[in-house]
Order: sequence, then C-alpha cells, then structure tokens
Amino acid sequence: MARRRRTPKSRQQLQRGFVLIALLALVAAIVFVAILDRRVTAQFEGRRWTLPARVYAQPLELYAGQDLSSARFARELTRLGYIAQTPVDRPGTFRRKGDTLDVYVREFRFSDEQQAAQKLRVGFDGEAIASLTSDSGAEVPVFRLDPLLIGSIFPIHGEDRIIVSPAEVPPLLPAALKAVEDRKFDTHHGVNPLAILRALFVNVRAGQVEQGGSTLTQQLVKSYFLDSRRTLRRKGEEAVMAFILESRFEKADIMNAYINEIYLGQDGRRAVHGFGLASQFYFGKPLGELNLPEVALMVAIVRGPSYYDPRRHAERALERRNLVLKVLAEQGVVKPAEAERAMKAPLGITDNAGRSANYFPAFLDLVRRQLREDYQEQALTETGLTVFSTLDPLLQEKAEEALSDELERQDKSGRKGARGLEGSMVVTTPQTGEVVAVVGGRRASFDGFNRALDMKRPIGSLAKPMVYLAALQSGRFTPASLVMDEPVDIKLESGDRWKPNNYDKKVHGQVTLLRGLTQSYNLATVNLGMDVGLGPVTKTYVQLGLDEAPPRYPSILLGTAQLNPVEVAQMYNTLANGGFRSPLRAVRAVVDETGKPLKAPELEVTEAAPAAAVYTLNRMLIEVFERGTARPARKSLPPDLVVAGKTGTSNDYRDSWFAGFSGGHVIVVWFGHDDNSPTGLTGTTGALQAWTRLMSSIATTSFEPLLPEDVEDRWIEYYSGLETSPYCSGSAVSMPFEVGTALNPSQNCPPNISREEAALMQPPDPVDPTGDAVTAPTGAEAPAPTQP
Amino acid sequence: MLPLTRTVVVVALLASAGCSLQPFQPEPPAAPTRPSPATGGRGPVIVEPPPIESTMPVEPVIQGPAPSIPVPRERPKAATATLSPASRALVTQAQTQRRKGDLPGAAGSLDRALRIEPNNPLLWIELGRLRMDQRNFPQAEAMGRKALSMSVGDSQTQSTAWQLIADSLRARGKNPQAQEALEKSQELSMK
Repeated sequence: MARRRRTPKSRQQLQRGFVLIALLALVAAIVFVAILDRRVTAQFEGRRWTLPARVYAQPLELYAGQDLSSARFARELTRLGYIAQTPVDRPGTFRRKGDTLDVYVREFRFSDEQQAAQKLRVGFDGEAIASLTSDSGAEVPVFRLDPLLIGSIFPIHGEDRIIVSPAEVPPLLPAALKAVEDRKFDTHHGVNPLAILRALFVNVRAGQVEQGGSTLTQQLVKSYFLDSRRTLRRKGEEAVMAFILESRFEKADIMNAYINEIYLGQDGRRAVHGFGLASQFYFGKPLGELNLPEVALMVAIVRGPSYYDPRRHAERALERRNLVLKVLAEQGVVKPAEAERAMKAPLGITDNAGRSANYFPAFLDLVRRQLREDYQEQALTETGLTVFSTLDPLLQEKAEEALSDELERQDKSGRKGARGLEGSMVVTTPQTGEVVAVVGGRRASFDGFNRALDMKRPIGSLAKPMVYLAALQSGRFTPASLVMDEPVDIKLESGDRWKPNNYDKKVHGQVTLLRGLTQSYNLATVNLGMDVGLGPVTKTYVQLGLDEAPPRYPSILLGTAQLNPVEVAQMYNTLANGGFRSPLRAVRAVVDETGKPLKAPELEVTEAAPAAAVYTLNRMLIEVFERGTARPARKSLPPDLVVAGKTGTSNDYRDSWFAGFSGGHVIVVWFGHDDNSPTGLTGTTGALQAWTRLMSSIATTSFEPLLPEDVEDRWIEYYSGLETSPYCSGSAVSMPFEVGTALNPSQNCPPNISREEAALMQPPDPVDPTGDAVTAPTGAEAPAPTQP
Repeated sequence: MLPLTRTVVVVALLASAGCSLQPFQPEPPAAPTRPSPATGGRGPVIVEPPPIESTMPVEPVIQGPAPSIPVPRERPKAATATLSPASRALVTQAQTQRRKGDLPGAAGSLDRALRIEPNNPLLWIELGRLRMDQRNFPQAEAMGRKALSMSVGDSQTQSTAWQLIADSLRARGKNPQAQEALEKSQELSMK
C-alpha cells in the first residue's frame, strides 16, 4: 500500500522534474536564439562590414602637347582594365586607329568632383598628344582618367574588400551563384534539407563535388559570423542563424551581402573578400565589366579559393569553370552556344609571374604610415575611406623592373658577394615632394620587409654633399677654393685615433672643392668638414629634411650616419628643389565614404637653405656625372638630359648607394645584403647601374635650374682653381660664383683671352699635375673606412 | 584637318607649352668686356661666353684698365611666364572654386596643374593665393618666395610674387617688411 501510494508521488516529482528541465531547456533555447538573433541583426542591419580604405594611384592627366604616344596610352588603358574593341559603346572600352584613339572613360568620384562617364577622342602627333575633343566635338583643355586602384589599408586580421552595390553587380552573377550553389535560394527559408540530401546523392554519383548542401545563406553565415570549426554545434548555430537571417531580411539583401562577403582568395597577408575585390584581384577590372567566362571562373572559385586558385592550379580552375558553364547552360541561365564559346576562352587572369594585379605593398606601407599621423587605425581600416595617393603606376613598374633586372645581372656576374643581393628604390618629384614610386625589395609585390622604410644603413659618400653644402653656406668657400687631400689623424673622444684613407690609397695634395666632391676624396672631405665644423655640417642634414641631426662624430663626414632610402630621398629632394624643403608626401587627398574631403597632408615648402649655395652644390653634382664617379653612366643617358647626383659606398662595401636627380625626378637606389655582408660593389658599379637604367627609361625633364640672383658663371681650372678660359685650357669648367668673387687668374691661360690669341698659344695642357687622368676618372668610389 | 593646318596647330600648341618654361641657364653674359692685359685680370672680370654659335651682337671692346669696383651686371630679361592651356583651364577652375569657398576643390585643381607644369612660377603664386584664403600666411609667403626663385629675370612675374609676399606679411601684422615687399613689387612692375 505504501509502495503504490509512493509511485504516483515520485512520478509526479519525476514529471515535475522533466517539466522543469524542459522549461529550462526551452528558456535556454529561447535565450540562445535571441542572442543569435541579436548578433544577426546587429551585424547585418547596419551593413557593418569592415570597409578598408581604398587607395588609388595618381590619375593619368591628358592635355594637348603632352609627351604621350598612342601606344603608351593604349598600354595605360589596358592597365586600367579597359578593353580594346569596336564599337566604343560602353565605359571601359577604347579603339585605336591610326593617329586617333577613342575612349569611353568610366565615371569616377574624385576628391573634388564627380566625373561622369564620357567619350573622348585623343589625336596624336608622333609621340605627343595633339588634341583632345569631347563627344560633342568641343575642345577639352585637360582631362583625367579614372585612377588605378592599387590596394587598400586593411585591418590587422587581414580582410580586404571592395563593396559593390546591387547596381554594380552584373545580373549574371547572382543567377550563376544560384544555379551552382543554391538552386532553391529564392524559396527556401535558410536551410534546404532536401538540397543536402540531393547534393550527397549527386556528388557520390558524379564522384566529385558538383553541388554543395549549404545554401548561400548558410555560407554567408559561416563566413560572416563563425570560425571554421566544423562541429555539429556549429552546424546547428549556422542553421538557426540562417533561418533568422531569412526571416528578418529580404532575399536581395542577403544576396548582396553574400556577394560582398564571401572569401575568394589569399594574397600574402591579405584575404580577398567579396566579388568586387576579387574581380580586381584576378582580372584587374571592375565587377561590372566581367564577361561570361570570367564570372563563371569566380563562381567556380567560391567552392575552394586555394584549391581552385587559377594562378597556382590553372587546370583545376579551368575544369571547374567549364563545369560551372555547363551547369549554367543546363539550368537555362545562358544559351548552350554561349556556354560552348565561353568554355574555349582562356582563364584571362592578369598575371605577372604569379603576382597579383596592381598591388604595391611597399608604397601602401608608406601611405599607411603617413595617414596614421592623422587617423586612428580603426578609422583607416574600417570606415570606407578613399585615399588618393601620389603613386605613378608606370614609373613604379619601371622602377621595380630596373631594380630586379640589375640585381639579376649582378647574380650572373659571378662576382664574389654580388649574388642574391637585395635592393630598394624611392622616386619623388622634386618641386612638390610627391613620392611617385617605392620599391621595398627585389620581389616588389611581396608584402615583406620594406627596405625603403624599415632598413637603415650607413650612407657612405652620400654624406659628402652635406659637408660641401655647409662649406658653401659658410661663405668661406667656393668651388675654386683649395682643400688639402692629405692624411687625417683625429683624436676621438674615446681616445682612439681615426686615420681614414682615400679609396685609391693615394694622397692628392691640394685639390679644388669641386674636385674633392666629384672624385669623392675622403681626406679632402674630412679636412674640409673639420674646418667648417661638425655643427654646421650636421645642421645641413636637418635643413635638408632629416628629423634629427646625426651625432657630431668626425666619421659622419664620411657617411656613418644610418638612414633609410626615404630619408635620403627627402634630403636629395630638397637639393633638387633648389633648397626648398617639401616634406615627402604619399597622399594627396582623403575622402570619407560619402565623398566629403577629410584631412590630408598638404603641399608645404620652406626655404631651408640659401639658393646660391644649393645651386652651386647642384652644379658640382652635375660634374659628378661629367667628370666624377658617375662618369661611366653618362653615356647611357640621353645626351641632352642633364642630371646630378652622388655615389655612395659604405665601409667594407656593405652598402652601394646612388642618389641623383633630373629636372623632374629624384631617384635613390640602394643595393646590399640583408645580412650586411660585403657586396664587393661600389656605388658606381652597383646602385648607379640601376639608377641609370631607370632614369634613361622614363619621360623626365633635364635639370636646368635658373641662375639665382647675384650669381654668375665663371671658368676655372678643375685642378688648380685658377680662373681661366675654355679657349686654351683643357680642364676648364664653368662654375657659379657670387657676383664680385675674387678669383686668382691662371697665368698660362688667362681668363679673358680672345679666341684668336688662344689659337696662337701652345696647345692646351690637359695633363693633371698630380697624375689623375683627365678624360677617364676610374669611377672608383671611396668607401668610408673603419669607424671606431 | 588638313595636314598643314594640323602641323601649324600642333606647333602652336607645343610652342605655347614651351613658352611657359623658363629659358635654359646659365646664360651668356650680356656685355663681354676686355680689361687690358696689364691688369692681369684683377677684380671681377666678365668672361666671353663659351665657344658656341651665338646670335648675340658683338660688343665693342672697352679700352683702358679694368674697373676696380664690381660692375653691376644687368641680367638679361627673361620672358614673362605664361600658363599652358591645360594649366590655365585648371587655374580658372581653381579661382572659381575659391570664389565659391570650395578650398579643398581649388587645392585639387592647382595640384593637378602643378603636376603638369611644376616649374611655372605663376602656379606657385596661385597656390600662394589659395593659402591666403586658407589663412596659412607663412605658407603663402613661402610659395611667393618659391615663385621668385623660379622667375629670376622675369620682372613682371617677380613683381606679382612680391605682391603676394607683401600681402602675407601684412596679414601677420609685419607692416615694415610688408611695405618693403610692396616697394620691391612696384619697382619691378615698372621694369
């Protein structure tokens, strides 16, 4: 009796227990779903993707009289993803016929205006633009093309994307995605259990993964919210969230989110998300301009971006693309004939030995660092800014090519230490301080160690112009002044004695300032520098744009100061700009996602060093090419292109430098080993070669600055510094002097002799009294000797 | 267009583009004089230009001893700077933008012009005017000085540059210097 009466009571308890547990489970489930729901709506409603800042290169400007051939213009258009075709009936197309090129320019929102898509006719005459006319026949004085997208500033976790609105998506893409990935997309509620089963069946039967069981919504959820753990619980969460997504948002929204979110490739450190970026990454053009085989390829990649990487696994990618095309034909998305034709098309990937299209990590690095001064990391990487940079893509490519070609040549030279060199290049435009190219290493598109910014090396004889500039500024020296190239013995603070040598181990005695610099004599430079004073010498570094003056050690006279190529470029830029210092800029303008202009580095100039002194120094730097250590390169440059520069070799030949400029460009080159081992190269035999290769391949202007006020040209003898006449002196050089400078005249060949009188004299005596050859300086560069 | 007309147009366009560039320096001095050999060339001497084809008239020989005080050398006048058609269009645009208060827009337009003609002092003066609008007076002065350095020998342009410098000094209350700059501007405009 007690047992019977106990059972109902315990059963009741059990029942109550169950109910309680069931209630708790229900509550838990509700909470679970509510949390997921919150996440879905919070993430999805505000379209809160991380929108990296998009970075553009300088746009190509067109104007009558411009140095631009139709062939080169066509190449630039191709780089921008324009297609050569007839008729020129939509943006992104062009046609070249004889002297004329018709182009349909894409619309673009610049920082200062929205430029509508429009047709343009460009007439050429030889290597220059002769005319620019609009569609209506009106003359157009100046016009800029849409700029090249060169990358983005993406967050640390590496996601990069270009957002596309529904209007920018070709209808073929969503149709193809549905056909291949999720046929019932339009009707299901997030999960399609039948699809899962059918996929299993089809795939097993076909022996390959033809269909996926996940809906697009599930894939979106997976990508958006969750990591790649493939547990049952994950699957459950995924399903619930997909369901929530479907019930809360329109199909069109979900499709658009998918198109912008899905992972489609890897490029070094950055993960390519969304079809907008993938289109640029694989084909170098906007999504809206892709054709059938290209869209099909991207849909094919969805299933496995690494596995079907068209660059590394071309056959696989092609096979799957054609499978996609087959499915599209079967499903009636495209006509069978179209699909057939598309299957015959090549992959069409923009490829440059495996590198991604138009990605310049070293330059982007500089952009990022400059922007960090004005912007928080999050604002930069997540709020969808547009950054207009100063990059010149053609020049950048040429710089990368010049560097890697030269380094390869060194590899093959068989010279000890010349194998496996690394290098770096920086190119700027002197008047505005814009950085037009940055090469961080031999493999330029590899996002690795950025030698232009993160590597500091002794600059060697690149430091000598600073000494000579200080001397000229002091007012006590002219190019004709004599300095002693004789042994140096300096007691240092440490008590050690510093006794540097010339490269050729010779002592040259009394030499002109001009000769000391052009031949890069160590002893003359040290004696001059000690006379001028380490204070004024180190001050010139700051004048020229270095943030901090180097320490006042005598050895800095021979270049023990350690700088990176960008810092060197800043200093030489000020020289090329006549003594006006312009902080180097990689950014011209920044706008937010609505197009509103934001803070950006502004063009700034400061009169940093006296014009006369800088002008005089620059004339001496021209002589470095005419008769000094850069002489071997002179013949490889166009004869009417005047350039100036300085070779640099550091201690034990560990660093080979050249810094020089034309009228339009400053180029700095460094060669060396990452492990600091000797290269066996001087500035002349190493970096100068790459510098010359680049300078002779770009459109630039001759360096022909104006003679400043109160400065005039006079002829002096290169060796003695005496004033002379070119009619009778074989070593006469024209150098600038402040008006009123007293110069000692040559007795053998007086300065004011007439041509007739000179002809009656003995032939000119070209031989250098000290034994240097007049016509062919060895081009040897004096490295800085061992430093304490 | 007929080939001849086209050639003429192209030449005209190229010439107008070329005119905006400054002449090549160093120039041959204007008045070669020859002090008598007896002086041994003491003091400043003016040297004959290097042996190139010259279209300059031959100056009469000056007899007698060399001057012992420096002879101020008249620098030959340089052509007045002009804007190329492309730059002019952009400058006009910039001026319109400035008037409407769109200073970032004006900066963008002048930026573009500077890429086309970085050595044209007129552009630097325009940029200086923009800096005045932006109330960045030190930079306005700096742009003016840059324009000066690029227009040596071109008195009209230098006069305009000095005007800009004067305005930027006055805006900072530096009235004595502003007055000096203004006088320089007026002096040059009369050359």
